[in-house]
Amino acid sequence: MSTCIITGIGSGIGRATAIMLANRGFYSHYALIGRNEDEMRQTQAEMQKRLPEGSTRLYLIDLAFPERIPELVAKIDAELGDIGALLNIAGYTDPQSLLTTTLESFELTYKVNVYAPFMFMRECVKYMRQKGGKILNVASTAGMTPRPGWLSYASSKSAVISMSETLTAELSEYGIMVYCVSPGRCATKLRRRLAPDEDPSTIMQPEEVAQVICNLVNPNEHCLDGQNIVIRKSIKK
Amino acid sequence: MKYTLLFLSGGSGSRMQNSVPKQYMLLAGKPVIMHILERVDQIEEIEDVVVVCAKEYEAAISLMINQYGIRKPVHFAPAGITRQGSVRNGLTLVNNENVIVHEAARPFVKVEDFKRLIAAKERNATFGLSIPFSVLKGHGCVEGLLERSELFNVQLPQKFETRLLKDVHERAVAENREFTEDASMIYYYHPDVPIKVCEGMDYDIKLTTRIDMLAGEQIYEDVFSRRK
Repeated sequence: MSTCIITGIGSGIGRATAIMLANRGFYSHYALIGRNEDEMRQTQAEMQKRLPEGSTRLYLIDLAFPERIPELVAKIDAELGDIGALLNIAGYTDPQSLLTTTLESFELTYKVNVYAPFMFMRECVKYMRQKGGKILNVASTAGMTPRPGWLSYASSKSAVISMSETLTAELSEYGIMVYCVSPGRCATKLRRRLAPDEDPSTIMQPEEVAQVICNLVNPNEHCLDGQNIVIRKSIKK
Repeated sequence: MKYTLLFLSGGSGSRMQNSVPKQYMLLAGKPVIMHILERVDQIEEIEDVVVVCAKEYEAAISLMINQYGIRKPVHFAPAGITRQGSVRNGLTLVNNENVIVHEAARPFVKVEDFKRLIAAKERNATFGLSIPFSVLKGHGCVEGLLERSELFNVQLPQKFETRLLKDVHERAVAENREFTEDASMIYYYHPDVPIKVCEGMDYDIKLTTRIDMLAGEQIYEDVFSRRK
């Protein structure tokens, strides 16, 4: 049994996934990554109801500073050991039209959505390649279809899809499988910024996306890596 | 029994018609030279590595070794004018009693292949593959016959007693003799020393021309990728 690193565990899909994984027993330890300590503690408390004491540990980091990730991953390996899975779930958006998108906003979106997953993957692979493992990146349907006004977010998620597909082949020899999921409309804080007038109860819930993610990171799953898996909910009308 | 890997990376890539020597080009997204260094890093019997390369590539190789997290000690020896000179230079840094000679332009060797070579009970061994095509002697016109069943294609890696390999290299220098590979040299000077021929691998090609790089991508996909 190995350590699973999950980013974005304070809320939304990250939180739902972390809590659901705690029930599955796939991993012995969980490194929980986020930047809001209060929210993270709530997620951790939920997980610990189902896990042996000491199975989870919080690591605070602002992903706007991806250059800090190598030190963080080294610390996780030293403290929990045997990194076997990485779930890049944290995301950021600042929807703007082209003419109102600042370089700072564009850069921040890319740092959180692209640079941070890249750095986590690069650093984790250094530890995972001896025994193999699983990497899962959360992209978005916004990365596949044009959405006016979502320039930075949509293009960053396209990059996540492409990175995942590229690394599937590159990391295969190590026995590392790379998954990519693209949820459609899902009731998260991030979605609220993209569609503030939408009723969250009418769309897909984080737990439904978490269910798919948990199925993919199941150690017995060997067939669904290397493709962009779209997660959409059929809604009764 | 412990080994040093003497790893030849001195080729200039002239036949590849590329300004970057083939061992530093990307194959399946990874520098050719790193394919073997990553696999050798998993083999307990190999204690250290001597990379023989042009001086100007030492810094780049050191950086890659660091980036890929190679844990075995790696030393550098300067490339010689000939392959034989490169092996001789590398041998000055080999302190183990046994040495495995391999070259960076042959990235398609599995961990199990190295282990099979190491497991051979003879201390001197090479990989060899039977020749599937017809052969004749000649330069421009036919000058003689060769018996295909008596020949085999010499493949690396090879393993040798370090003392023996150093001895034959000294003798070859003294006599100004050149050999294209080391099993030949040992046989020439010590025909009584057994050199085991282990069954070679059809995928263990040497990347020499551009077409080899194209074929190499397919070989990697077929033999090393775990996605089927």
